[in-house]
Amino acid sequence: MGNKDVIKRQAEKLAKANREAEPTISDVYWFPHDEEVRLIELDSAVPRSPDNRVHPFHFRPAPSQGLPAPSGVALISPDEFRQAELPEDWGTWDQAEKLAG
Amino acid sequence: MDWREAFFCQARSENKIMTLLNARGVEYSHQLHYIQMVTEKLAKGFLAKAGRAEWQQTSHAAFVTMLRTIKGRPDVRTQLGYKDSQSFNRYIDSLLPLADKIEKLAPALAGTTRPNPEYPWKDRGSSDVLVPAGFAFPEFDPSDPVMVKLMNLIRQLLHIAI
Repeated sequence: MGNKDVIKRQAEKLAKANREAEPTISDVYWFPHDEEVRLIELDSAVPRSPDNRVHPFHFRPAPSQGLPAPSGVALISPDEFRQAELPEDWGTWDQAEKLAG
Repeated sequence: MDWREAFFCQARSENKIMTLLNARGVEYSHQLHYIQMVTEKLAKGFLAKAGRAEWQQTSHAAFVTMLRTIKGRPDVRTQLGYKDSQSFNRYIDSLLPLADKIEKLAPALAGTTRPNPEYPWKDRGSSDVLVPAGFAFPEFDPSDPVMVKLMNLIRQLLHIAI
């Protein structure tokens, strides 16, 4: 399995876990990257960011938990989708892939 | 040292001070001030990417969103000793209302009419100006079981944060 597949598999695993943990998450978007899992999750319980920027929380790899890659996960308000400024080097909103829920 | 490590280091140090203040029996507002600062630094540590030299300033309000984010992290859940995701979710959910109140203790969020542990404020009901050091902060009673649970979680997160 290539690194991209490993990253995508981890993205899907985290998206599933996050949806199960937080029922207010409606959609999860994955920003493909070769070395890091990057997720933005639309959550109606989250307030808008005061600076109109996406601020992901970062987590180190945890291979023993099936999470071999580092990850950045941001919860944003649904109305920030495609509006908020993405973190530097995350690319553009057009590069986001919606993960099936 | 990168920003992530620096925020976690400062949060641990402030937590030590909070413990010392508790042991010395000083006014509770000072302990509460440190609790608010510890939670803010802890959340900002998780917002900082390991190894990155730059830091982008963020709001004081990150602690609650951080807690909601870790609910979906099997690695954090396991490190905190929970095998079952549902019980972990219930545990975090039970702490969110109090965590939200602690987050709003930051003076920038509390404004001049809500209790906060750092600056005097004007009570809306009586119009009296109140002093943090003379206020009991009953919503954050350190013997309240939810407060005890939240403080335990903060200590555990400080322990596992890298």
